[in-house]
Amino acid sequence: MKKFYRCHVCNDIHYGVKPPEICPTCSAKNAYVETNSDEAIKICSYTTKSINKQEFLKAIEALSENKEFQVNPDKEKVSMLIEGIFQNEKNHGLKYCPCRLSSKDPKKDLMLVCPCRFFIHETYKNKPDGECWCGLFIRRKENG
Amino acid sequence: MAKLIMFHGRECPHCKVMMPLVDKLEKETGLSIEKLEVWHNEKNADLMRSYRDIIEPKCGGQLRTPTFFNTENQDVICGEMEYEKLKEWASG
Ligand code: SF4
Repeated sequence: MKKFYRCHVCNDIHYGVKPPEICPTCSAKNAYVETNSDEAIKICSYTTKSINKQEFLKAIEALSENKEFQVNPDKEKVSMLIEGIFQNEKNHGLKYCPCRLSSKDPKKDLMLVCPCRFFIHETYKNKPDGECWCGLFIRRKENG
Repeated sequence: MAKLIMFHGRECPHCKVMMPLVDKLEKETGLSIEKLEVWHNEKNADLMRSYRDIIEPKCGGQLRTPTFFNTENQDVICGEMEYEKLKEWASG
């Protein structure tokens, strides 16, 4: 089961089954201590910063770097999708996929937060010209 | 009479591609397809969710847009497709 952990040196928060051995922020070794979600959320809320559309695009480009997938070079499509993702965040709380509808089961709907685990989509898996369901990510072209 | 529904999303590129084909189909066949946007209209979203058990098995286990749903024979297709396939669905 996933839990919250806090680095007792720099207050880095980790949410997962187990914390990293070395804190990726301050490099302290074996520094994480289990904490409760209220504390973790509070700590995060002091330092949160919202991300705008341009920053989101940069983030997904960084995610795609040296991977077998890339952000779709079709800029018009990408911009339409990012608009939808941000509309969904504004209206429904999270960056939900603009091409699938939420189920209203918040836990299940975490699978719809963009970027999702699109490798398993039948539109991507085992397809040389695979795409995530929306086409935000495509399998990297040889020369791309 | 069968009701033909297109569940779509305002910022869904597949829906944008399919929209002119739906318009063409309506003009050509005289059939009417109700276009229901689901991310900006909660009523439409709930209607789509109410057909979840029929739609999901045919659309990769999800509620995807666009989804074309025939309320009479419960025929479902989703995603981008050729005009002929859409026409076949609409003609029941
Ligand atoms: S299908 Fe594509 S656009 Fe939709 S959530 Fe997944 S990665 Fe994002």
